[in-house]
Amino acid sequence: MSQETLFLKNTETFAESMARCGVKYHFAYPITPATDVMKRTAVILPRYGGTMMQMESELAVSSALAGAACSGKLAATSSSGPGMSLMQEAVSFMAGAELPCIMLDSMRVGPGDGDIVGAQSDYYMATRGGGHGDYHVPVLAPASGQEIVELMPRGIRLAYVYRTPVLFVIDGVTAQTTESATLPEYHDYAADYDVSDWAYTGTGKHPKRALITGSYAHEDGFQMNERLRRKYERITEAEQLWEEDSVADAELVVAAFGIHGRMCKDLVRALRAEGKKVGSIRPISLWPFPQKAFDALPDTVRQVLVVEMNHGQMVDDVRLALNGRVPVHFFGKTGGDMPMYTLHEMIAKTNSLLGE
Amino acid sequence: MQDLGKNFGKTLNLDKLTSYCPGCGHGIVTRLVAEAIEELGIRERTVSIVGIGCGGFSHHYMDIDAIEATHGRAPSFAVGYKLAMPENIVFTYAGDGDSCAIGLGDLLHAANKGMPITSIMINNTVFGMTGGQMSPTSLDGQVTATTPRGRDVSWQGYPLLVPEMMRAMPGVKFLARESVATPKQIMHAKKSVKKAFECQVRGLGYAFVEMIVPCPTGLKKSVRESYDWCASQMNAYFQPQIFKDEMEQSHAD
Repeated sequence: MSQETLFLKNTETFAESMARCGVKYHFAYPITPATDVMKRTAVILPRYGGTMMQMESELAVSSALAGAACSGKLAATSSSGPGMSLMQEAVSFMAGAELPCIMLDSMRVGPGDGDIVGAQSDYYMATRGGGHGDYHVPVLAPASGQEIVELMPRGIRLAYVYRTPVLFVIDGVTAQTTESATLPEYHDYAADYDVSDWAYTGTGKHPKRALITGSYAHEDGFQMNERLRRKYERITEAEQLWEEDSVADAELVVAAFGIHGRMCKDLVRALRAEGKKVGSIRPISLWPFPQKAFDALPDTVRQVLVVEMNHGQMVDDVRLALNGRVPVHFFGKTGGDMPMYTLHEMIAKTNSLLGE
Repeated sequence: MQDLGKNFGKTLNLDKLTSYCPGCGHGIVTRLVAEAIEELGIRERTVSIVGIGCGGFSHHYMDIDAIEATHGRAPSFAVGYKLAMPENIVFTYAGDGDSCAIGLGDLLHAANKGMPITSIMINNTVFGMTGGQMSPTSLDGQVTATTPRGRDVSWQGYPLLVPEMMRAMPGVKFLARESVATPKQIMHAKKSVKKAFECQVRGLGYAFVEMIVPCPTGLKKSVRESYDWCASQMNAYFQPQIFKDEMEQSHAD
């Protein structure tokens, strides 16, 4: 497929981005607001020599995903909160087994079955590993259809260079937004990486390989965790990603990801027009958290406001990053007919912190 | 030392000391599986996906690539693997706890999908590795570590009959229950295990063999007693038989 600009729902853009960047196998189970990904991959993946396989549960989804990932070929899944909870068994397994794959959590309101409207309620699950054990998965949070397209090759690079599952999280509002995106020409990014030294493809060309994540010898378990620790340190150092706006002389910085992060552009423009020294930071990699962006904030910054579509999750990481340097305020809500703030509400909250 | 490889070929790893308990039925099944792989000449493209429990050790005794799956999920791992590697031979090897307690959903759906995958389920009626607790296949009244007064089928359920559940699935092309209680039955089981692999080699569909075996340690019996119990009690209830052999009528697409 050649480059083309299409008007798509962002879940569909995610499906197109996967297919055009080399994802061959997509395992999924229907769940709102992520079903549109599998509906589109069912149609388009065969054009790229791939397959969408609908499984009987998200438990089976993530297990089949792990099985396919063992081959070294690029496989993916997409789901939403309740489905992601079920998947954590195999996500933990793939982190320990160091298997690459791509995952999407199109976030909705939780806990429990919650609600199908968009939210950012899975920030903790995404950034704290999600399942049992000491692990992380790199988490990318695009805020638009075009950014999904731009981040897909990066996600695949992270998956193969660090041999890890990579998770995209998109609030259900962004996920269901329909907008234009310029889709890339087909390129199999996974094929750029050599997996011959680890993939479980039969002993034909190599001595026996066994994928063992259970530690029958305790020293093995210790060494496995030490190897993961070193890997996570490398990722934390090299892979922080964020977008910032007008922070150089800012007195108040608004931090938000996803849809609210995207709205910060308009917020900063509106308040700067009134002469107010407001800037913004939009984390794009949620793990590793962009600590460097907060380390580099100038001394002019007096306070930080975190806006989220939840009851306060990323705000913890902002507070850890700033470590008491300046006050950190939180503005968030989840669920309801309007599960996010309007630009007007964000401006009013910012103004109130500025003493107006 | 005698070169046993001349008799057994490359698949069975004879250098590795077994961690199976004395008299464990796994040793027999592992050897039958290795012999089937060797005889079909598929060692270099075969991948074992094992469950959690004593069955998880089986791949240590075979010189083939192996994946230790999460508990109960070996069949789903196999589905994903086979989709990505259709030319390879993939089989699952797991006990009754893994296959029909925590993993029954995965197993039945994998069977129903009908992809060319081979599953070997080793049924010894207990969770062996954790010390002989009740499994879904424990017999009516069977005393285990978690059923001190015997399994009460009125609320703990009847011993699960797995192949019987798969019988109606058209995608299942070879379906058998075998026993290792006697040498004669072992020789019969050997043929079914080989057929279950051959079914996949020919791309016909899903193949499943349940193996009735003793677990002397988990059953708290001597080796001889456990084989006697396997031959009388287990075989009497489970009725080893070939449920379905559609390999002659079937043709791969």
